[in-house]
Amino acid sequence: METFELLKQLTEAPGPTGNEGGAAAVIESLWRPFVDEIVVDRVGSLLGIKRGAGPADRPRPSILLAAHMDELGLMVSRIVEHDGNGFLRVTELGGVDRRHLLGQTAIVHGTRPLTGVLGGLPDSYLSEKERDKAYSYENLVLDVGLPIDEVRRLVSIGDFVTFRQSLRKLQNGRVAGKALDNRASVTAVTICLEHLQQRRHTWDVIAVATSQEEETFLGAYTSAYAQRPDAAIAIDVTHAKGPGTNDSELMELGSGPVLDIGANVHPGLYGALRDAANALEMKIGTGVHAAGSGTDAYALQVARDGIPTGVLSIPLRYMHTMVETVDMGDVERVGRLLAEMVARLDDNFLGNIREELMRPEISIKNGRGRSVSSVSEDDGA
Amino acid sequence: MNDLIRSLVEAYGPSGFEDGVRDLIRPLIEPHADEVTVDALGNLIARKRATTGEANPLKVMIAAHMDEIGIMASHITEKGFLRFTNIGGVGSHTLLGGRVRFADGTLGIIGVDRMEDRNSIHPLNKHFIDVGATSRENCPVRVGDAAHFVRPFEARGRHLTAKSMDDRIGCAVAIEALRRLPADVSHDLYFVFSVQEEVGTRGAEAAANGIMPDVSIALDVTLTGDVPESRPMDVRLGAGPAIKVKDSGMIAHAGLVRLMRRRAEEAGIDYQLEVLEGGTTDARPMQLAGPGSVAGCISIPCRYVHTPSETVDASDVEGAVALLVTLLSADMEL
Repeated sequence: METFELLKQLTEAPGPTGNEGGAAAVIESLWRPFVDEIVVDRVGSLLGIKRGAGPADRPRPSILLAAHMDELGLMVSRIVEHDGNGFLRVTELGGVDRRHLLGQTAIVHGTRPLTGVLGGLPDSYLSEKERDKAYSYENLVLDVGLPIDEVRRLVSIGDFVTFRQSLRKLQNGRVAGKALDNRASVTAVTICLEHLQQRRHTWDVIAVATSQEEETFLGAYTSAYAQRPDAAIAIDVTHAKGPGTNDSELMELGSGPVLDIGANVHPGLYGALRDAANALEMKIGTGVHAAGSGTDAYALQVARDGIPTGVLSIPLRYMHTMVETVDMGDVERVGRLLAEMVARLDDNFLGNIREELMRPEISIKNGRGRSVSSVSEDDGA
Repeated sequence: MNDLIRSLVEAYGPSGFEDGVRDLIRPLIEPHADEVTVDALGNLIARKRATTGEANPLKVMIAAHMDEIGIMASHITEKGFLRFTNIGGVGSHTLLGGRVRFADGTLGIIGVDRMEDRNSIHPLNKHFIDVGATSRENCPVRVGDAAHFVRPFEARGRHLTAKSMDDRIGCAVAIEALRRLPADVSHDLYFVFSVQEEVGTRGAEAAANGIMPDVSIALDVTLTGDVPESRPMDVRLGAGPAIKVKDSGMIAHAGLVRLMRRRAEEAGIDYQLEVLEGGTTDARPMQLAGPGSVAGCISIPCRYVHTPSETVDASDVEGAVALLVTLLSADMEL
């Protein structure tokens, strides 16, 4: 499938944090032809397991690829009446950028889906001071156009609300829409699975569309516990350059993939991704995080007795809004890089990365360290 | 039920020092459980086994926390006054003139350093406790001793007020539900009276890792929006127990929310739906434990949470017991 079409299907499916079923259904239909087994676990994550070509008589190592499928959304917190009309007050699911809410179109997932608008008082009704500020959740209303009795019949407190926004093509291979955080990465994992149809890989691949990353990393914690993989990669979006950003720290749209270095990243996984990029003659950028990467890697890394984990990112502008923007080339390259990295995993991988970690003279400073494969060559010399 | 509630809410049990509450609860639940254990952290766990012969009964963990907020002495002055730190979420605005009691019964009065401006509240570290000592040597309290707030239980019609409704009222609901459950149940039930909830839901995290539940239900208090100028919230006293949909630490399993609503409607129990914008419960660590569990929470609406006069409505408490019993007595198709 064309990347745009994949992105369109995936971003437009409703899957707010805590109620990812709509997105999971689309992902299941896309992954089913590429994997041996599909599992939906009890906290809402969708797992696609593709077995490796390793010997059947012994257990194969496995790598877990986590891309969270939940998107930012809202939840009905109160139902209020005004002159016989019903209005909804909402609270956020995940870190919604509140400044972007006024004027959005949304869908209330009540007993049936209801289209609504997020409105507030016109600025001529506001004081000078209020005009300069974002609307608070106490002032925003979600209006589905119904009288109070009908609203009470169709909507409950706690109903999920998603944004109604179709994916649009900008110029130059860029697309904008909602939920590109993180369906862009789900798309990349889908592209990876498609590439792997043509590639021999000896490791099992556990592709996971995780639930509730935006609130608690729930799906990452639980899927890594349940599957106990030997290695893991979190695929997520990262802030891209634009006017006003700190350009020395961020990557340009179209310059991805971005490989992270930081506390959540095992140097061996960083090295394996970098080696795979070199093999493809693919340019990569380097991202850094000091403490938490803000991705599923934070949870994957500490599951069970610890899992060597990497972070692979897609640059994105206007994070946590309904006009998140990515370059489709980045999405495709992340998919291809993942497939290459997975296909290169062999029996020695875990031993090699452990050995590398134990050698203080080998550093990955500035991304110029020696690769895992060159370590073993040095050993032989 | 008020006698049970009174004994629970007046007991001493700041986070980390729950022994007295545990000793109080244990004999009350032993006749109704197949097995009662205390784990390494101090969680009290009552297990009621499935008796209907199902091959793989669901493991259901129900958690109510025994601990309450309190204070801990951090320094004794030369004149025998105590400086202290908080155990859990203690607001400075709830302190002045209050009374605390230490494990050995020592009573203390909370005073405050000189106030230049009566419209501003001193931070916690400008408060002190006066236990009547005159020197460090004759002070009966040592650094590290914990105290709870003192306030007697009051029943004013349906409104019940005490210093630790959070969460002894959840413990009361769990105890009462255990008493009322039929002898034969089809799930493996683990009633956990947890420790250290107020300092980061720590007891339930360990208990859940030990039990690895399939389904988890926390019993705890929630805030209300039914007092003057309160933060808007569609939960009020007297309208029934609240079925939690979301709080700031967890989103409840949508299927479990649906099931709770259905069971409440079938049994004719009034209920409310809860979206709480600050705070969380033991349901959070239970949801995250191991491969994850189907998690939710039955909340008891409570005014003035984390003050010495936490107030609940007896009919909401009764409704919470009824909802829990009907939920646990029947199938759990999620």
